[in-house]
Amino acid sequence: MWKGIVLTLELTLSSWILALVLGTALATVRMTNHRLAKIVVGCFVAYHRNVPMLVQIMMWYFALPSLLPDSIQLWINQFNGEFLYSVIAIGLCMAAYVSEDIRSGLRAIPYGQFEASRALGLSYIRSMRFVILPQAMRIAVPPLINHTVLLFKNTSLAMAIGVAELTYATRQIENYTFRTFEAYFVASVWYLALSLALMGAGALLARHYRIPGSK
Amino acid sequence: MIIFTDVNKWYGSYHALVNVNAQVKRGQVVVVCGPSGSGKSTLIRTVNRLEDIQDGQIAFDGQDVNAAGLDLNRFRARVGFVFQQFNLFPHLSVLENIILSPTRVNGLKRNLAKEKALILLERVGLSSKADSYPGQLSGGQQQRVAIARALAMDPPAMLFDEPTSALDPEMVGEVLNVMKSLARDGMTMMCVTHEMGFAREVADQVWFMDAGVILEKSEPEKFFTHPEHPRAQRFLSDLRSH
Amino acid sequence: MFEILYNYWDLLLLGQYPSGPLGGLSITLILSLLGLGLAFPVSILLALARISPMPAVRIPATVVVYVVRGIPLIMVIFWVYFFLPLLIGRTITGFTTMLCTLVIYQSAYLSEVIRAGIEALPKGQIEASRALGLGYFRTLRFVILPQALYNMMPSMISQFVSTIKETSLGYVINVPEITFAANQVNNQLLTQPLAVFSILALVYFLLCFSFTELADYIERRITRKREGKHKKIKSAKPAKSGYIAMSTATVSKENS
Repeated sequence: MWKGIVLTLELTLSSWILALVLGTALATVRMTNHRLAKIVVGCFVAYHRNVPMLVQIMMWYFALPSLLPDSIQLWINQFNGEFLYSVIAIGLCMAAYVSEDIRSGLRAIPYGQFEASRALGLSYIRSMRFVILPQAMRIAVPPLINHTVLLFKNTSLAMAIGVAELTYATRQIENYTFRTFEAYFVASVWYLALSLALMGAGALLARHYRIPGSK
Repeated sequence: MIIFTDVNKWYGSYHALVNVNAQVKRGQVVVVCGPSGSGKSTLIRTVNRLEDIQDGQIAFDGQDVNAAGLDLNRFRARVGFVFQQFNLFPHLSVLENIILSPTRVNGLKRNLAKEKALILLERVGLSSKADSYPGQLSGGQQQRVAIARALAMDPPAMLFDEPTSALDPEMVGEVLNVMKSLARDGMTMMCVTHEMGFAREVADQVWFMDAGVILEKSEPEKFFTHPEHPRAQRFLSDLRSH
Repeated sequence: MFEILYNYWDLLLLGQYPSGPLGGLSITLILSLLGLGLAFPVSILLALARISPMPAVRIPATVVVYVVRGIPLIMVIFWVYFFLPLLIGRTITGFTTMLCTLVIYQSAYLSEVIRAGIEALPKGQIEASRALGLGYFRTLRFVILPQALYNMMPSMISQFVSTIKETSLGYVINVPEITFAANQVNNQLLTQPLAVFSILALVYFLLCFSFTELADYIERRITRKREGKHKKIKSAKPAKSGYIAMSTATVSKENS
């Protein structure tokens, strides 16, 4: 079971980093107000929000390899293909949610803030860096925490394609030892503890960066 | 100091500023008034290019505002602008709000900037609030901090866009007092405001605008007692009737 | 892709019916509707328990919600799969397992939505209703819940969309919903996985996207209606002044 936990954490971390980086990039691209950019990002987000996570994983694992030439398929499968596909699937899906969170954070900042910083002589980039983004990130943190916990729980779906994370490991243990209740109980406790830890860490983060005097 | 020459601006087909020709001389205080939608805010915002013009010239301290090679950020840092909605940065303390631009745009050292900021806070009467955050201050206090923030760049002139319109009545006085003391110290000021008492006390000229045109420019006493233009007469009587 | 649809539409839509149990898209929809429908009353009770002034009711409810929200859906499925038969003493179908799982899972999430809706109402509503003499439960029934549920309709439709997506996990315990059916098709064809799964993704996309747009539409209507209500109140004033004029008229008559 311990290996399962470790693999779950590896999955979570890899997908999370991918989601954060890609999500920020998507949000930035969307902000450029270029028509094509907005349509492309909009479609990306709509696909990932409306198609179930499991189906997305299946798309990556079953459907995509048929597009790649055989040599690349073999090469990927050598390097733990299931893990890679899960990370990509979960990371991309969560990137869509992250970009939406950042976008709503940016939209919540009144335009007057931007005007004021420009009127003081700060350039576009400096205005973003010192005035807009610090405020937008603070607003985006609570939904980001929620989505991080969601990402963590979604790693359990990787078991459907054979990734030996916690849920898969639990099933195996249950198959070998028939101690069903204990196996699932321990696994549930682990999931619960880690979820609560994530939420707690997020709450601490939100409290640390709270703006004094805000409601 | 500020010279408008044949300035015209359109929003699509709407002619927002019509052939504006006017001057604010060094050390003068000019009050711009008029009904809503007359273009007074638009006019003042063209000086630091928060709004652009399609025709004409605007010169600020000898510099053509719309010149091709102008470093816009450095230029804006020289124009002091105070907004109606204060627009303080809520995630920075009062002190940090004031030193942000001097340190980042002008490259002033942090400790020097802080010393200067404290002097300015003293001037607007808020030295005890240096480490407070905007969310903890009243509207009048926030606007005074905004004035200090604009002054921190040592601008040759200050622009005020309806600085007291968003304030509760009892706080209007404290902000106007700061503006009056600035005027008495010889600051060149261009104010869009409805506060006629302020205009009578410190303004050197009052410009009356309607529908994008400056209809009248006169001394405050003359404007308030014997306005020439009929539109101005109507505006003043509306203002007095409530 | 279209040949696949043409050849397998019955499997994808109806499963093995009529020569076997119902499956495919029909089961997906039935599961979602039943799941959310049954979860609805449970979630209302859970929400009320979470805001109850009595700790004996509030604390267990909070614990239940946190636990269900803290573990992945798959785990909940397995818990129900293994332990529900033990509880009621007989084996149950995959469909029933999935249904119970969805009811439990969605009750927890839906209760949070309803709780948010209740807490978003101005306190004045409760105060006014109690001042009129309505007791705790009557206040809830006639004043609080109708408003909270109406305001939270867009969020509840979002939860329905989530439920549709969650039915796809029935694949893991061989519930014959559309994801399972698509996999069956893929196992038969073997050479066109992209086409098969694209169809699957498209079906979910169309379904979920339409309901999400519906939720947005309702949200806009609700916001517009709220602003409209303020305008209606203003037009009621002239009638009042008429009444006051009448009463002053009577007073002045008395004085003279």
